[in-house]
Amino acid sequence: MKILVIAEQRQGKWNNTSFETLVAAQQIAAATSGTVSAAVVGKSVAALAEELATKDVADVLLVEHELLESYTPDGYCTALKQVVEAAKPDLVLFPHTYQVRDFAPALAAMLGKGMVGDCVGFRNEGGKLVFVRQMFQGKTVADVTFTGAAPWFASFQSGAFRADLLTAHRSGKAPVNAAKVELKAADIRTKPLEMFKEAKSAVDLTQAPVIVAIGRGIKARENIVQAEALAKALGGEIAATRPICDEGWLPLDRQIGSSGQTVAPKLYLALGISGAIQHVVGMKGSRTIVAVNKDQHAPIFEIADYGIVADIFEVMPALTAELQKTKG
Amino acid sequence: MNTIVCIKQVPAKDAPLAIAGNWINESDIGFEMNEPDSYALEEALQLKEKHGGKVVALSLGPERVKQTIHEALAKGADRGIHIADDHFAQLDPLGAAKVLAAVIAKEKYDLVLTGLQSDDCGFGQTGVLLAGLLNLPHATIIMQIDVQDGEMKLKRELEAGWFQWIECPLPAVLSIQSGINKVRYATMKGIIAAKKKQILTVAKESLGVTVEPTQKIEKIYVPTKTKKTEFLTGTPKEMAAKLVQKLKVERRVI
Amino acid sequence: MAIQREQLEADVLIVGAGPAGLGCALHLANLITKHNASGAKPELSPENIYVLEKGREMGAHQLSGAILDPRGLRELVPDFEKTAPLDTPVTNDGVYFLSESRAWKLPITPPPLANHGNYIVSLNKIVKWLGGLVEKEGVNLFTQFAGKELIYEGHGVAGVLTEDKGVDKNGKPKENFTPGYELRAKVTVLSEGTHGSLTKEMVNRLKLDGLNPQVYGIGVKELWEAQPGRIETGFVAHTMGWPLGSDMYGGGWVYGMRDNRVSLGSVVALEYANPEFDPHEAFQKFKTHPFVRRILEGGKLVRYGAKTLPYGGWYSMPRSYVDGALIIGDSASLLNAQRLKGIHTAIKSGMLAAETILEALKAGDTSAKTLKLYQRKDRSELHQGRIVEGAKFPPGVSRRAVERDGARGIAVHHRRARVGGPDAFGGGIQRLREAAWQWDAGGSEHAVQGRWEVDVRPSDRRVSFRHPPRGGPAEPSESA
Repeated sequence: MKILVIAEQRQGKWNNTSFETLVAAQQIAAATSGTVSAAVVGKSVAALAEELATKDVADVLLVEHELLESYTPDGYCTALKQVVEAAKPDLVLFPHTYQVRDFAPALAAMLGKGMVGDCVGFRNEGGKLVFVRQMFQGKTVADVTFTGAAPWFASFQSGAFRADLLTAHRSGKAPVNAAKVELKAADIRTKPLEMFKEAKSAVDLTQAPVIVAIGRGIKARENIVQAEALAKALGGEIAATRPICDEGWLPLDRQIGSSGQTVAPKLYLALGISGAIQHVVGMKGSRTIVAVNKDQHAPIFEIADYGIVADIFEVMPALTAELQKTKG
Repeated sequence: MNTIVCIKQVPAKDAPLAIAGNWINESDIGFEMNEPDSYALEEALQLKEKHGGKVVALSLGPERVKQTIHEALAKGADRGIHIADDHFAQLDPLGAAKVLAAVIAKEKYDLVLTGLQSDDCGFGQTGVLLAGLLNLPHATIIMQIDVQDGEMKLKRELEAGWFQWIECPLPAVLSIQSGINKVRYATMKGIIAAKKKQILTVAKESLGVTVEPTQKIEKIYVPTKTKKTEFLTGTPKEMAAKLVQKLKVERRVI
Repeated sequence: MAIQREQLEADVLIVGAGPAGLGCALHLANLITKHNASGAKPELSPENIYVLEKGREMGAHQLSGAILDPRGLRELVPDFEKTAPLDTPVTNDGVYFLSESRAWKLPITPPPLANHGNYIVSLNKIVKWLGGLVEKEGVNLFTQFAGKELIYEGHGVAGVLTEDKGVDKNGKPKENFTPGYELRAKVTVLSEGTHGSLTKEMVNRLKLDGLNPQVYGIGVKELWEAQPGRIETGFVAHTMGWPLGSDMYGGGWVYGMRDNRVSLGSVVALEYANPEFDPHEAFQKFKTHPFVRRILEGGKLVRYGAKTLPYGGWYSMPRSYVDGALIIGDSASLLNAQRLKGIHTAIKSGMLAAETILEALKAGDTSAKTLKLYQRKDRSELHQGRIVEGAKFPPGVSRRAVERDGARGIAVHHRRARVGGPDAFGGGIQRLREAAWQWDAGGSEHAVQGRWEVDVRPSDRRVSFRHPPRGGPAEPSESA
């Protein structure tokens, strides 16, 4: 099985979930005795391609063009269609990012194929690949298989795989090959303009290694400083469930859940959070989950690695003190 | 500014899910308009209020989806199109998009809107696929639409609090982000007026669309809990110490 | 709050799309169609009938056992046996007395609980189906619209204010704020079911109380999917005794439906003395009784719910007509608690209301004078159909509840209770009330009203109704 991973970059910076997808590709390759190629798209991204080449991949495709400097769906679809036709992979994998949602299904359709998006895992059943994805807002999962011949297209949800499991290239470096693509300005119908942030201190929670999240159990805005102190002691970011942001106690970009961000940090601390589905779908991929809640029956404990049934107002300061002790 | 809004009818959010093989048991549950699509509909209605034109509500599925089209008409859509298909649930995203495109292609429009994804399947591909099939430009996760002189300036949401403006010509297909607006309530006058509005029923078979499935849902199931939760005991101080120790040594995350 | 509200006008406004409200709407639409076809004037339209339903969809708030006595439905939809979503006819019924571990079937099923000829139904489905029929007639059905307040004018009602939509938790308008409507109608029909908020307010304000205050029971229900063979389809069991105490009014039920579905639950009047008694817990215990457990073992819970029932019966019936308004169904206390049946009385009352309304619309007179025809018809219908036999028999509960009313305690002593006509009824209650206040303040009063004599004796805390001696006083004027 030949697998091609389309890694994502913007303005020279990686979207780190691309590495999770590479891990997925490596695992699928191991299960099917296959090979993994990686591709990066843009303009003047040779350095990024070199970085990919240090990972355990068979080769790297450098897809460059003047018109690919900024992302446009038309640009990416036209270019990648040529790449796929030339490279002839069996499976094309993407990280399930906002950008991928914008073009990947169309790319697959251009080649007459379907895409199975937002997968949380896969299984190899006697040579047949089964992809697992959530349905009904995370209440259920579904086993999905491709029908028809390759290439097949799939994307993996952030946090479904662990980027730190990505292995380095065994003998140093994989070959980097330039993939020639033809693009005309007339092919691109939308014009990307400036990017901007609305919130003054908008934070990208998906890149935070540690997250301390608060729920209704925090009870009042004044209490949030305790959680912030804990987050600082852990070197992490503060986040919250939707009701907290609805109240305006924390800005919207701190919201985690189905209508906020999806994260998969190495440590997620859920304080006073009940564990409703809308929140859990946004964080259950976290590597280690610690839940603190007064109610031993809170659903959050279903997905926690460590559970503390106690009052968060006693646990927060105790933890902060303990962490400062070990640091100092 | 004539707009076609693709609206899906999905099981009610609080409906008990009775899994039956590769779908759910549909008897005895309530259905409702897919919430993301209701934002798309609201956006279409607001565009109509600003720029004039007509709004068409389009939905694919069995007879019961007419109820959802009625709701759209009650809120202000001008007419509805129901593509009758009892086996809609078995269609994959590309198949559904092909059927919708076949109907849309016969209409005159400036804009096609969809919600970002459906609350039941959550594929999130319909808008993008429609654009491909209709050979139109598209953009997704749209938070704002400004129309001027036949061109659009769109605000697109990116990750981590970033946004981007995009220029896009008309006609086009847009997938609307939830929360872009506040969905209006159907008024009584709207409900009464809706009774007189037309809903055209089109049988899927009559469209002559051949749909070769590209993927198959083998089965649906409740994920089993594989995690074993370790509950800590003691005083808060003791538990804090134990936890820090475990996170350091067992998990190596701090 | 000076919000500009849009005004809409209808001929008839029906608040609550349950069996009573829909029965009224459907029958009225049918009558109007016949009326127009006969060329009679004025020409009316079913489109001027508005039905308000606060639930998200038809049937959403319907919860009941339920066993349907088909009498009302048969009149409303003659071919209902072919078209209605009936689950199964009752094939076998019995009343059982439960002790903690045993169940004795009563050798004779008491007539009120004999169910041959009846059907087990899902009320949710029946109401959905009726809603479809009503819509087909052109009646305007509005779901997700709740009546917030009645519009009072003169001695009666002129319509309903619907609730404002799009307000946040603190009542402040949000972006999608949509003010409620001022819905005016020639006749407003209150078919809100049990605990109707508009009904309660109107009864209170316009002094329409029945003889007794209304009393309520609570029903807890579960729908199960049992293992095949555990229960016969069409099997109906009503139980008394365990886990309810002997001084509690209520019991349980188990109905075998199609496809191995089982409807079961328990109802108990909300006047039990033990503060630690929990109706829901009692129902859970009920399920552990061998009689029930045998049926449920290995099965799966599908759905559950609870609802109150208006247990007061005949004596809690409010006066059901005022200028411009009628009360029907459970809001008018038409549940026959003894038989545990109220759907047929609800439907029938809706139909009678429809007939009265048609006459009122034809005559252009929707005052209480014309509308009281409804109450007369309804009460006589209940009598004739022997429906009232069971309802008249005072459930021990209502008496006791009333007895326990503290300082305002009135022990109503029924002696050969007969209703003396709607006017006397309303007037009598008025006087009784006044008597009670007097008594409360230390006095007593001997009031004579119509064919009733009200005697208040604080010494033994009794108020009794008596027929006055021959040659009694003249008919009183109608009280407001």
